Amino acid sequence: MRHLLDRQRRAPAVLALVVLLLTLAAPFARAATPAPNPNNKPAEGKHYVVGTDTTFAPFEFRAANGDLVGIDMDLLHAIAQDQGFTVEVRSLGFDAAVQALQSRQVDAVMAGMSITEPRKQVFDFSDAYFDSGVQFAAPKTSSVNSLADLKGKRVAVKTGTAGADYADSVKTQYGFSTVAFGQTADMVNDVSTGNSAAYIDDFPVVAYSIQQGAPMKLIGEKAPAGSYGMAVNKGTDPELIAAFNQGLANIRANGEYDRVLAKYLGEQGTTQRTGFFTLLADSFPTLMKGLALTIAAAALSILFAMVLGVVFGFFKVSGNLALSWLATAYVAIFRGTPVLVQVFFFYFGIPAVTGITLTAFTAGVITLSLNAGAYMTEIVRGGIQGVDRGQMEAARSLGLPYMKAMNKVVLPQAIKIMTPSFINQFIITLKDTSLLAVIGLAELTYMGQQIIARNFRSFEMWLIIGVIYFIVIGLLTIASNKVDKRFNK
Amino acid sequence: MSTAANEPRAGADPSATETSRVPMAQRKDVIVVKDLAKSFGDNHVLHDVDVTVKEGEVVAIIGPSGAGKSTFLRCLNKLEDVTSGHVVVNGHDLTEKGTDLDTVRQDIGMVFQHFNLFPHMTVLQNVMLAPVQLGRASKEDARRQAEALLERVGLAEKADARPAELSGGQKQRVAIARALAMKPDIMLFDEATSALDPEMVGEVLEVIRDLARQGMTMVLVTHEMGFAREVADRVLFMADGVIKEEGTPAEIFERPRDPRTQDFLSKVL
Repeated sequence: MRHLLDRQRRAPAVLALVVLLLTLAAPFARAATPAPNPNNKPAEGKHYVVGTDTTFAPFEFRAANGDLVGIDMDLLHAIAQDQGFTVEVRSLGFDAAVQALQSRQVDAVMAGMSITEPRKQVFDFSDAYFDSGVQFAAPKTSSVNSLADLKGKRVAVKTGTAGADYADSVKTQYGFSTVAFGQTADMVNDVSTGNSAAYIDDFPVVAYSIQQGAPMKLIGEKAPAGSYGMAVNKGTDPELIAAFNQGLANIRANGEYDRVLAKYLGEQGTTQRTGFFTLLADSFPTLMKGLALTIAAAALSILFAMVLGVVFGFFKVSGNLALSWLATAYVAIFRGTPVLVQVFFFYFGIPAVTGITLTAFTAGVITLSLNAGAYMTEIVRGGIQGVDRGQMEAARSLGLPYMKAMNKVVLPQAIKIMTPSFINQFIITLKDTSLLAVIGLAELTYMGQQIIARNFRSFEMWLIIGVIYFIVIGLLTIASNKVDKRFNK
Repeated sequence: MSTAANEPRAGADPSATETSRVPMAQRKDVIVVKDLAKSFGDNHVLHDVDVTVKEGEVVAIIGPSGAGKSTFLRCLNKLEDVTSGHVVVNGHDLTEKGTDLDTVRQDIGMVFQHFNLFPHMTVLQNVMLAPVQLGRASKEDARRQAEALLERVGLAEKADARPAELSGGQKQRVAIARALAMKPDIMLFDEATSALDPEMVGEVLEVIRDLARQGMTMVLVTHEMGFAREVADRVLFMADGVIKEEGTPAEIFERPRDPRTQDFLSKVL
């Protein structure tokens, strides 16, 4: 195979204990065995949810039309078709996909995942469908032409990958230092801007980006790393593994496998670097798809947060000790932890314990609703307490019951006090939806990452995305202020 | 009980209610306060307060700042929680758990030092709110009644104004009209003229004086000594959370017996 190196990511830290426990049980674990008969279809008619990475061209990435394509995707669909099962692919990011598999949010992971011994303790792997390797790359115009030229320079690596491990193993020998990034695109950007002299990634990824016009050159030799396989939780889906192996054997035999690889790694003309407006026009439909999801997630979150804020805000001013304590605890928890941690907790943590799986959209909306709800609770409390006490007293002295006095006298004035803070919170929540990209929600920021992973045009793309957010938030602000003026005269 | 309070007030309007012609001692008790005590934590604001107010009686409460006058007044419609003792209004003991405070309060109007008008409503809406919300009158009837009340306090032309557009004296007159809209038996005035510019005090006192003439039962906390003397049937002097002395205006203002009363009056008169 031409492709040498591989992407071998370390198991996430949370795996460590599980690995340890399962090591004891390892001798009893079953090995998946491929079915020998080409017409055997062990998973026919079944439906599987498969988790994958977000930006790992050429294995998985978004095409210009927003579809998820790549070697993994094409092979998976070819095998599914051959074997008569259906798949739903969730593009989550590598670490997220592995966590989703462990929390049973997905049935399998196919994401350029190296077959390693530690992983085999936790997962069952299919037969290897790709042999890979890692290699350094530096800007075309750079004076770095060999590993020796890296002396005293900095090299960008991707956290938890085989490339990072390999770079660490040779950095003393060649005298360079490393800096770690979470995504290929960030790593490449760091090199493009000159912060780092070179980067290291899986060979097919580097080769593909150079083929797609990235102004990079390969440095040094490819270092072999391992083979990619599809993973399922240990002992859970033997028929999926069997079907995958059978389908893989079949498409290798009928030439489909070679066609897929040639499509992404064969010699092709270098893509022309397009102008800004062509880039804008090409990416616009995908970005608008993302924006629609951004707006849907923000609108629902804001709506639910308002309800939560009103309920808990009233709890706080109710004078009832238990209710007020409950509201205080709620606010303390959601204001006292980062939104990102909350997103991970609801998306990975809750399903891991309860077995109830949530889509990225549901988990995202739940998180943002609860988070914004905490802030809105304080806004509601502050608004009500901001109304002069004499207002309530005057209303009660007339004989109005508490709720009537609240509704007719205090709240209309409190809402006026709350409105500017509410508008502020709407804007914050809208912007916070961009954090949901980390759990693979295909909103605006995520779509931007996808496009950049394909074309490496980060300056123009983040500028375009920034402008889109700016316009949407501007419109939201104008609309909110209009409503404010109309109702709070 | 004061001895001189047996006769109706000298200034009482001859056209006023029947009640005003009945000697004070024979009238029924509308407010009975017994052994009232009130503390905010360790701060004992009121103790051993016993007061009875008769129907149609006008009681003025005077005394130095911090004496507990406003707190006492606010106990009469239970805007303040009572620490111990009893407050009985129109036969309802407000300190008892089962008492429906909202119903009792409908018959007790209150006017505050800082007016507490509802700023998001027009003057007319301020006056109409309670009768409409409490089902006392249809919207139409409430409007007619509110207009009549505004006429009575001399503010008919301000019906559609917002409170922010009014002077202090006008605000306080609207507040009185708002309280009267519930047709209360009792009116409580908590330093109703203290926040007003001097030139506006007169217009508010005139409205209160008019109510007194018509036989309204009233308790006023006031710093207007001349007005208390003129309009009250009985004056209570409060200091340090207790009623130090009480009597007719003549007794309190001309022949005060308690040294604290003498001292206070020598400073304010």
